[in-house]
Amino acid sequence: MKKKAEILVVDDDPDITDSLKIILESHDFTVRTASNGKEAIEALEDQIPDLMILDIMMATDTEGFDLAYDLKENPKFKNLPIIMLTSFLEKVREEGPGNFAYILGEQWPAHWLFEKPLDTNRLLDKIDDILNESP
Amino acid sequence: MKAPRDFLSEEGIQLGRNSVREEVECIQWLISIRWWAPILITAIAGMGVLAGFDEGLAKLFLVVAYVMGYNTLFYRWSRRLEAEPVATQHRLHHFVIWQAAVDCSALLLLTYFTGGTISPVCFLFVLPMIPVSTILSARSTYGFTAFVLAGITLLTIVEQLGWLPHQSPIFRQKEIFSPPNLQQLLFSLLVLYLLLTTATFLATTRSKVKKDKTKALEDLFESVTKLNRKFWRLFSMIQNIGSAQNLEQLLDVVSSEAAVVMNVKGISIKLLSEDAKYLRYAAAYGLPEDFVREKAVEVKKSPLNKRIIEGESFVTGNVTTTEMFQFGEVLAEAQIKSVLFLPLRLEGKVIGILGAYCLLPDRFTDEDVDFFRLVAELVAIALENARAYEAVEKLVKERSWYMLRVAHNLRAPLAGMLSILDVVRGEYLGSLNAEQQEYLRRLDRRSRTMLMMVNELMTLAKSREAQPTDQTRSVEPELVAQRIRRTFQERAGEKNISFNVTVPEDLPAIRGDLEMVEQILENLVSNAIKYTLPDGKVEVKFSPAATMIRMEVSDTGIGIPKSDRSRLFSEFFRAENARAIEKNGTGLGLAIVKEFVDKLGGRILVESEERMGTIFVVDLPVAKNQKGSQHDRAGNP
Repeated sequence: MKKKAEILVVDDDPDITDSLKIILESHDFTVRTASNGKEAIEALEDQIPDLMILDIMMATDTEGFDLAYDLKENPKFKNLPIIMLTSFLEKVREEGPGNFAYILGEQWPAHWLFEKPLDTNRLLDKIDDILNESP
Repeated sequence: MKAPRDFLSEEGIQLGRNSVREEVECIQWLISIRWWAPILITAIAGMGVLAGFDEGLAKLFLVVAYVMGYNTLFYRWSRRLEAEPVATQHRLHHFVIWQAAVDCSALLLLTYFTGGTISPVCFLFVLPMIPVSTILSARSTYGFTAFVLAGITLLTIVEQLGWLPHQSPIFRQKEIFSPPNLQQLLFSLLVLYLLLTTATFLATTRSKVKKDKTKALEDLFESVTKLNRKFWRLFSMIQNIGSAQNLEQLLDVVSSEAAVVMNVKGISIKLLSEDAKYLRYAAAYGLPEDFVREKAVEVKKSPLNKRIIEGESFVTGNVTTTEMFQFGEVLAEAQIKSVLFLPLRLEGKVIGILGAYCLLPDRFTDEDVDFFRLVAELVAIALENARAYEAVEKLVKERSWYMLRVAHNLRAPLAGMLSILDVVRGEYLGSLNAEQQEYLRRLDRRSRTMLMMVNELMTLAKSREAQPTDQTRSVEPELVAQRIRRTFQERAGEKNISFNVTVPEDLPAIRGDLEMVEQILENLVSNAIKYTLPDGKVEVKFSPAATMIRMEVSDTGIGIPKSDRSRLFSEFFRAENARAIEKNGTGLGLAIVKEFVDKLGGRILVESEERMGTIFVVDLPVAKNQKGSQHDRAGNP
């Protein structure tokens, strides 16, 4: 690897961002964090990371999604790989046809979706996969 | 529930038929009696000949032949009448008149042969009057009498003028009825007139009384039929009310049904607000839209509504201008003439107003008002029922929502906690000694147990939300069996427990949803393995049981104490001996199982012997459409 890959972690729960930062940094990633959509945009404008880990439910139930869709529509960020997190995978899955209709369609803006609490090893594997995929 | 047969009206048709049948029987009786006439005449003529009458009697056989001839025709005709399903009254009357007329002609012939107007046979003319008077109206009977008398008079005149020779039986060369002189003739004609008129009078007065009674009976019958129809409608209204799903739907059903029951153009239901200050139009049927648009009425400003709420009923047969002010111009435009308002009363308390509107003036009689009061009572009860039901439903929903919310809110901090634990246990913050690791492992374990409980709570909360199960889907038992084998083979192997799932061939599919059936078995099998000691046995057996599929989950585990069995399926309950083995159970598993079994329309039983083992027997209904199962298999790889 030429240089350390950079990951932006966006979650309103500092326990999650802090622990992910520690874990990811010890696996040789550069990590920045943001605690809401607005901060995330600022961080992205500052510098585009190699990957973003994004929580779905923050201030609103769909804040993470809204951000992801905005980014997909923005030519500047549309190639940014995203891993989404949710505490309520079931909610996402079951309410899919309703509130989260657009999640399940082809327009799905993320590369992957993990349920919290996270399985650290699977997260790391997935990050490697995605980074190796996109040059 | 099936609607009762509209039995009275059906009986009514029967009764109508009966009166026709009675007349047919009467006609047949006449015909059969008539057979005696030729026999009698023959006998009399025969005796006359034996007694020494010289001639004149032979002609009587002409009458005999005539009567026999036409009676045969009548007989055939009456048989045809009988075969007709519903002979009309009209045709029967014609038949009676014809018979009477032909009888009269035979009598005229007989009279002529036996000496004309002075013949004693003349008195027989009374006979045809009997059937005529019972069946025809008084006027027709008098008409008939006039016709008969005209016939006799004509015969007398014809004879007197010499156009027909005088006929009389001859006894020892002497006519017994020699041609009468004018006085004799007039006298006998007069007697005959008097006799027939009196007979007609007597016959018609009696039958008039009878006919009046019949008419009264028919009227009574009609009103009973009407009443029956009303009650039948009332009954079907109750049925329809029962099928309404919610208050909104119920109001619609009630108003349209009430319009049919009351046979009126429009119905309105106004409900009183809780503070009794406003009346809100909750439903309207058959009324102009503008009428209902003004949704709320302030009770204080409407003296009419106020009176009704105080318990009075209000009827008007001709809506006046002042009253019109109360109802609005729209009602006048709709040409409503009669209006009826009744309080909707429940246990003495008025909860609203039921209104009925009709285009006809003076439509509502006292009787109607009484009947409508009955309808109003029914409506009130139905409304209260629906309200109570909705309140309960709302409570259940709120409870589910609350449970879901709590579960969700519990998950987020748990996720954070476990994430931090990951960092510490992963020694990202520095290495830990064995004892520290051990304590953190225990912390992690308890946290994950909590997470599991929260997950199960969420499942339960979700299943409580009223979502009807999809009755059209079906589940292939073999597919469930495969999944269960895959899920538990390893875990059973680790504990050295023999684990078997058996499905007989050609077992029909189970009705319902794969996830649910799988969840039921997963919970039961997971418990069975958990509470069975190493070297034990856990078995899942599928079998057909009438219209159900039976799934038996048996183990050789610790069993369930008798005292605990009744509470087995309630939330958060765990048997005493189960706690001893597995500290971390949630007590939600069996509650979920029970919930799902109920949802799928099945039943669950448990047999257990402490220290010997437990058998859970779950019966689930067979899928209706067997072909659907293939589909399900494809849809759930």
